[in-house]
Amino acid sequence: MKKIALFVLSALMLWVAVVAFAAPGKSKTGHSKVVHITMTNTLKFNPASDTIRVGQTVEWRNTSLLVHTVTCDPKKAAKPEHVALPEGAEPFDSGNMDPDATFRHTFTVPGVYKYFCIPHEAAGMVGEIVVLPAK
Amino acid sequence: MRSVYQKFHRRWQRPFGKLVLLAAAVGLFMAGTVRLQAQMKENPKMMQMIKKMKQKAVAKDYVRAHMKVKNPKKLLGGPIEVTVTQNSGGVFVALPDFRRLDPRIFGTPEMPRAFEGTPGITGLPVFLREVENGQFTKMKKKSPFGDKYIVMANGKLSLKAVDATATDAATTEDQLQFRASWQDKAGNTYEVRANKVAAHGLEFPTFGGVATNVILHGFTGLGTPLMPSEFTYVAFWGMGQVLKNGKVVDGPRLVHGMLTEYVRTEGYKLGFDKDVTPTRLQFHLMVAPFKPDMEHMSYMPAPVKTGFKLPNGMELPFWHVMFENLQISANRK
Ligand SMILES: [Cu+2]
Repeated sequence: MKKIALFVLSALMLWVAVVAFAAPGKSKTGHSKVVHITMTNTLKFNPASDTIRVGQTVEWRNTSLLVHTVTCDPKKAAKPEHVALPEGAEPFDSGNMDPDATFRHTFTVPGVYKYFCIPHEAAGMVGEIVVLPAK
Repeated sequence: MRSVYQKFHRRWQRPFGKLVLLAAAVGLFMAGTVRLQAQMKENPKMMQMIKKMKQKAVAKDYVRAHMKVKNPKKLLGGPIEVTVTQNSGGVFVALPDFRRLDPRIFGTPEMPRAFEGTPGITGLPVFLREVENGQFTKMKKKSPFGDKYIVMANGKLSLKAVDATATDAATTEDQLQFRASWQDKAGNTYEVRANKVAAHGLEFPTFGGVATNVILHGFTGLGTPLMPSEFTYVAFWGMGQVLKNGKVVDGPRLVHGMLTEYVRTEGYKLGFDKDVTPTRLQFHLMVAPFKPDMEHMSYMPAPVKTGFKLPNGMELPFWHVMFENLQISANRK
């Protein structure tokens, strides 16, 4: 009886581990789920760092009173350390996002993406998305 | 445009007479630590020092040499017309805070810099600076120049300025149309308007009221050293009104605006000179808690009636508001 319980428990733990690994970020049921990031009055992307899988989409929502951007384009950065784009990935830029506006981007190239908000880059409004390869 | 100041002079200085001058010598530039002000009132030595420091403002003789010129020179290359607008998005409203002191600007206790002039307008007396381990650390009083802010909604900005006259003078061809507004959580609208420029400064030059492509603040001695040195694409110094929900609540007031390189850092902290980001821009609006003191070519403290209450119940005594969602255009006329 004890052995069965132990087996069930370890199977359950394994299942939890597999699900958690298969869908990093906010998704629990699969990597097709959209990951949500907010943009704040305190000049932050929240969460500032997130990990997703190739093919997954991130949706940024401007929950602040300010105008922000989601910009991942080395040509538009004031400082090179605020931007990173894996080789082969296209730059992207939401343009100005008014309060409540949303912007979506689907990541098709794995690697580390560093992005920023154009007006508030110097005030530390930068974020990071790590895109893992498909399983 | 001397008349702007003269009007001001008549309206504000005469009725209050010596009382105002006493307040000028005694008080500093905003309602802050009451204790410190009381201390200064009781301390004639300190009053004398502030008076002396006001007289010592470094650009005073320069302004004197220009303020009576009737036919000032024009800007090299012709007048520049500038438009700056913000149509949507919020603003950053600075709250009273203790300014950290950049050693590059303020020197050290052994070799202080930037102490002359009206405290807060062009200088910061050494006795208003905190010292730790032989270095200046921060101001002893709160000022409009610090790291604290709140965000307010619906920021609108419309600036049309013409920089035609090059230098300070008795008259100017510089032009100004300025309007800015924003809203608090309760839906109150705050607004500042200005359309008269100050043809000459008092403690530092105003370049005819509108200046373009010049460095201000910080090491320059042009305006408060509590702001970092910043390249300024356009700046104006004028007289205008402060409104709340469409009604004038204060005026005439000194209104100063400037489009500059970015001087905020991580967490929106006001940076030192080393922190300036040259390739990002911001617009600052300042309605300072001072009024001009023509007789002494100086300034006297006068909190602004903003109509905005701080959490502690005190009325915010200045407007220092930053706009960062900007459209900018400029051309030579
Ligand atoms: Cu932003």
